[in-house]
Amino acid sequence: MAAETRYSAAEAALAALDVRIASVGMWLFLAANAFYYAAWYFAFFYLKALNNNGAWMISGLTRPSRAYGTIVLLLALVSAGAYALATRAPVRTLLWRLPAVAALVVGLGVVLFQAYEMWHLGFGLTQGGFPSVFVGLTGSWVVEWAAATFWLATIISQARVGGDTILRAAPVAAFANLLGFLAVVGILNWILLYFLP
Amino acid sequence: MAVADLTTERRLSIPTGIPTGVLLAITGYFAGVWLGNEFGLFDDQNTGIILGYVFATAGFLIGMGFLNHPLGRLLGWRLDPLGEADIEVGLGRYFRLSLDHKVIGIQYLVTILTMLFFGGVGAMVIRTSLLSPTPTIVPAGNYLSVVGLHSVMMIFITSAAIVGPFGNYLVPLMIGSRRMAFPRLEALSFWLVPPAAVILGAATFWGGFPTGWTGYAPLSEQAGQGMDSYIVGFILIGLALITSGVNMLATIIALRAPGLTWARLPIFVWGILCTSILGLLAAPVLAAALVMLALDRSAQTSFFLASNGGSNYLWENLFWFFGHPEVYIFILPAFGIVMELAAHFARRPLFGYRVGVVGLFGVTLLSWFVWQHHLFVSGIAPVLRPFYMLSTELISVPTGFIFLVVLGTLWRSRVWLTVPMLFCLGFLFNFLIGGITGVYLSDVPTDVTLHGSYFSMAHFHYTIMGGEIFAFAAAIYYWFPRMTGKMLNQTLGRIHFWWMFIAFNSTFFPLLIAGLLDMPRRVSAYNPGLQFLNQWVTFSAYLLFSSMILFAANIIYSWFIQPVPAVANPWRARSLEWQIPTPVPARNFERVPLILAGPYDYGLPNAKPVADLRGLVGATGGS
Ligand SMILES: [Cu+2]
Repeated sequence: MAAETRYSAAEAALAALDVRIASVGMWLFLAANAFYYAAWYFAFFYLKALNNNGAWMISGLTRPSRAYGTIVLLLALVSAGAYALATRAPVRTLLWRLPAVAALVVGLGVVLFQAYEMWHLGFGLTQGGFPSVFVGLTGSWVVEWAAATFWLATIISQARVGGDTILRAAPVAAFANLLGFLAVVGILNWILLYFLP
Repeated sequence: MAVADLTTERRLSIPTGIPTGVLLAITGYFAGVWLGNEFGLFDDQNTGIILGYVFATAGFLIGMGFLNHPLGRLLGWRLDPLGEADIEVGLGRYFRLSLDHKVIGIQYLVTILTMLFFGGVGAMVIRTSLLSPTPTIVPAGNYLSVVGLHSVMMIFITSAAIVGPFGNYLVPLMIGSRRMAFPRLEALSFWLVPPAAVILGAATFWGGFPTGWTGYAPLSEQAGQGMDSYIVGFILIGLALITSGVNMLATIIALRAPGLTWARLPIFVWGILCTSILGLLAAPVLAAALVMLALDRSAQTSFFLASNGGSNYLWENLFWFFGHPEVYIFILPAFGIVMELAAHFARRPLFGYRVGVVGLFGVTLLSWFVWQHHLFVSGIAPVLRPFYMLSTELISVPTGFIFLVVLGTLWRSRVWLTVPMLFCLGFLFNFLIGGITGVYLSDVPTDVTLHGSYFSMAHFHYTIMGGEIFAFAAAIYYWFPRMTGKMLNQTLGRIHFWWMFIAFNSTFFPLLIAGLLDMPRRVSAYNPGLQFLNQWVTFSAYLLFSSMILFAANIIYSWFIQPVPAVANPWRARSLEWQIPTPVPARNFERVPLILAGPYDYGLPNAKPVADLRGLVGATGGS
């Protein structure tokens, strides 16, 4: 952690360009992501509407626990909200660091709680249409959330003196959109999987 | 001092490269198989094999060095964001993880050509088997496996054949950029392809898979372990389409040189842009469907199992929602090439540039609304048919725009009939047949009889091979001097063209007739009355294959054995990619150029040069 780092004008211009590239790239990635989840929602409504062989939701199936689902969703919202709060302050200030670290810790909690829930579903994967969609959709979401958490850890790690996040603010700003997107998917999943079937 | 830190990348001291990658891939495979068999829910091995392929791919990528950057960031190291320190010369860079878009373009080109050979061998096996109306040469079960391997291999190839080599190599040169937006994603999009091809090939150890490239359920659920290759291989290609799409689109949107307005964008770049939109948005749907199939086969869920709350129609809809845009992923960059070359070799401004762009976007948009034309005879509600019939037939309008632009450009011009231009004309002829036969297949009454016949098979070979692969050949002949600094032998090129063009039509036109005579696809036995027709086709196919061997020989001969250094701008083209020295400097342009005019202003009395390569004083945009 040597002395203050100085940056040349060219590097500052590069950083400004980086912000635009990262922002455009993130929107493109989220568009792809939206199509991915749209395919899952299509599967949800299609199989539910067809209810082939009456096996969308077989009688006596234990429903997934709303309590677990709500805990996971709340944690995800807190994590995304905390990170959104962090982006309002300059990187390296306490006002950035505290909520960002909180977002990371709570984000890890999302992964752990979701994994715990998946282990204690109360229904088997072979028990028809709804369990299939539940596992696939929730599994996809938590895997992506876990990857986002890793990414968040790299951002926090880079936000130290001399780390490149100070100069290249790009990933900091763009990343908030990813967590926000995943939080919205989390809300949709929560409604569909815990209240609609 | 501190400024210099930006370009000194700390590295993990693990050696990376293909040997490490292969070692970790093998380790990963066995780890995955062990894990899957130990904890898999059922003892059909599918869990282990799927996990094995996934872990093998992850191991390969880690061994190639893809984890170094994220891990370094996690450890808080100051990293070189664009891999500037990685710019290196020599042959070795083609075998390593390179962040240079020009290296990646060459890597793609060689990989695609190698895969094309294996896909072609598959076609030859199929045709050889069909010499006889009863399956004497290849047993009936194996025949289906060969069809599956040939088809999926060719789909992998054609998904990337133009965007991979030419999009990656040329887009930054054509838009005046010194870099790609996301070089790591770009490299990833390439390094996913070899594992996908190897995993697909591994299906042979499990007896292949019986579903062809469409992977229809419930056959895909009942198929043996070869099906797992289809799943993982195709997911990797889907990821490659997504990563490549993000990188290409962000590059074209954010890194155009000053003065390069949308109205000056080369039409080839428009083609790459549209195909990237389709790949970016269609591949995720395929990925979701493949995850469902993987879960069905490993965790015994029932997405596609009608008896247990699933539906095979779910697969068919998701697959074709991806599958139809996928065929435009193949063809849109080919449209771009043909329009681009028409202007350069007719030496006149592109006729109806805006019409061409509208045509590309029209196809891009409409291709989302046609997918059920593949399901006309599958038992979907008949009320859905008219909409999909009309939307499909509507696509012939923007496609007609493309033809209008090319023919309008060539009309009454003195076309310079170079080898690339010959391939463009061949494209127009073949794609016209491909397009017109497509109208019959989009029409419900005719589709009811033609579906599943050789008519449909010949139709899409006319569009993909007669279309995309002819444009691919045109692109190689045209841009080879740009990419390698060597001229391909033009005499061999002319022989190649006529040989390939005649053999291609002699192969596939009779197959349209075979289809009209009710010869079904994917069946190893046929009506003995069609034997002469099939023998004719098989011998034509051998000629077609040998024309591709001639092509490969020309490439090897002109690249390595008897290289002829190309002059700086052998086609005397106006466009930006030809205005820079050969070999292309490490960062393409010394300074970001200032674009002064469009690329097709041939013969205009006061046309400015396309760009001022000294750049804007003080400009750093696009650096
Ligand atoms: Cu289609």
